[in-house]
Amino acid sequence: MEKREFIKKLFTVKNCAVNTNRGKAYYDALYKKCKKRLDELEATEPVKNIDLKEELKVNGVSRRTFLKWVSATTAMLMLPPTFEPLVAKAAELMNRLPVIWVEFQDCAGNTEAFIRSDGPKIEEILLDIISLEYQETLMAPAGYQAEAQLNNAVKHFKGKYILVVEGSVPTAENGIYGTIGASGKTFVESLTGLSRNAAAIIAVGNCATFGGVPAASPNPTGAKGVMNIIKGKPIINIPACPANPINIVGTILLVVLKGQIPELDSLLRPKWAFGYRIHDNCERRAHFDAGEYVEEWGDNRAKNNFCLYKMGCKGPMTFNNCPIVRYNEAVNWPVGAGHGCIGCSEPEFWDKYAFERPIADANIKAPDGGVESSVDEFGLGLLGVAGVGIATHAAVSAIIGKKSKPKEDEPKEEEKERDKDE
Amino acid sequence: MIKSTYKKVKRMTTTMRFIHWINFFTIVVAVATGLYIAHPYYQTFIAVSAVHKYVMAWNRWAHFIGAILLDVTFIIIAYLYFFSRFDKPYKKLIPNRANIKEFVEVFLNLVTFNRRKRFDSSHADSFNTVYFTILHLMLLFMLFSGFQLYVQGLESGISSIGGWWPLLIHMATDWTLYVFGGNMGVRIAHHIGMWWIIVWVLFHIYYQVWRTIFWQEGDIAISFGGSKFAKTDSSDA
Repeated sequence: MEKREFIKKLFTVKNCAVNTNRGKAYYDALYKKCKKRLDELEATEPVKNIDLKEELKVNGVSRRTFLKWVSATTAMLMLPPTFEPLVAKAAELMNRLPVIWVEFQDCAGNTEAFIRSDGPKIEEILLDIISLEYQETLMAPAGYQAEAQLNNAVKHFKGKYILVVEGSVPTAENGIYGTIGASGKTFVESLTGLSRNAAAIIAVGNCATFGGVPAASPNPTGAKGVMNIIKGKPIINIPACPANPINIVGTILLVVLKGQIPELDSLLRPKWAFGYRIHDNCERRAHFDAGEYVEEWGDNRAKNNFCLYKMGCKGPMTFNNCPIVRYNEAVNWPVGAGHGCIGCSEPEFWDKYAFERPIADANIKAPDGGVESSVDEFGLGLLGVAGVGIATHAAVSAIIGKKSKPKEDEPKEEEKERDKDE
Repeated sequence: MIKSTYKKVKRMTTTMRFIHWINFFTIVVAVATGLYIAHPYYQTFIAVSAVHKYVMAWNRWAHFIGAILLDVTFIIIAYLYFFSRFDKPYKKLIPNRANIKEFVEVFLNLVTFNRRKRFDSSHADSFNTVYFTILHLMLLFMLFSGFQLYVQGLESGISSIGGWWPLLIHMATDWTLYVFGGNMGVRIAHHIGMWWIIVWVLFHIYYQVWRTIFWQEGDIAISFGGSKFAKTDSSDA
């Protein structure tokens, strides 16, 4: 019996993967904890006097649509359906959460992804609900007033606010490549100052998480992600280019719900969103296994939705939930639209993922930043050098090389001659 | 008489030769399938639906079986290096005076085109032992980097043989992510590793043929028949 138990234990060992079913006891305890947390939150004064129900109504979102969104979000956050009322409530209570959203070296793509939709999405409405104290793209104040707004917010919500960071932080030459405001504060100073009093930091987009495009080789500005600059603060990374709004909202929702940061992987990405490999949830996977690939843009294979691996799809090495949740309210995602994955939720994606060919054919830089060649070119070069070396050695051996002879060779030859003569 | 000047010397046991040729064929298979996995270089012209073709899947299967065979032979070889009853190669790896001298002499023999030969060529020499060890270390590297690439597909943390398997691979190979720079860094390193192994094989074959031609001791026969023929003094005969 003991042996059986041991084997059972061996085969059901807990590991680092996403655990989507932790058992009733765990979820009951979590439910109580979250409920308590939400009750406490509800008792506090809202930071912003906007009611979610009103807001939904104004934007023409029916209660049914909202509840559908709640169900989907609960499932996405890997919580059982019993948590749906709590998720709905957490969404309503998001107006108790002060958020400061700063932008550094980037294209504002994450903000744009959030707000550019064909109609008001629930995520976008939630962006109205959270108490967004500072957001350069969206807010009315500018210049000195904007700075005053920021300082007030930091003072007022000291230790409570969530700092959302978008964009990489240039560090070369004391960070002079990026400054903000009339005082010429560098982005490094701004980030370290703001993170000091933040409850947690959420880095959104590949730039803020891993440096993104600005950090691509040769990285002239010394761009870095937040986690490489700030130490000793809870940091959540939500990479991708742009980060999927649903992942941003989901993470903020989890923070509101649980009062703590969600489970993260080794790159500080929430496991519920980045615990899956794109390749394993891809609708074109059957064509990959079959060896059916698009060979050229627009060819017949492309028209028949064959696998994009040979066009450089990096789904097999990229972890993100885009094949599951998709973009723009689950309308589509890159591979669905006919372009391979460029690995935008992985570190160094611009240098190592985002080319339209398989890695074996892609030009990559040598580790010292020097010669750029594809892996196979390098390999064939290596083989060529070895081949030339060997050929030279063989040729010289043939000309001046000396074949070993047995010591008895000479007499033996004579012996032969003698034999012949006789 | 020729008989009196050559002595048969056993150099590889049946087990060693068996391992040698398993290694040879699995490396050929791993390279052929690995190149396909990195860049599918032929098209699937089979007029059935995707599920029956399974060309990439079979390539990956063959690559993986080849890899497992190499891993098993690696472990056996590692054992034999220290505990073989025939020849313990580790003895030739210890950097003592005799081994260093032999290494240098064998190297000089190669670069002087056999005009200088001042070592006993009948037994396994330290130069070749070092060279073979390099291959085994490269195969070990391919094992670690390959398993890291493999476990990326087991992100669910479950496998048909239990959760301990991906967990074990993660524990054993996650360091490669830090050393080579993420998923893609490991992939590039694994691919370049293949080229180094091909270069290794190229020189290995050349060198054994070269020895056979210039030493006149039938070295190439070692991997087939297990023995070579070393020259002896006539008094030995």
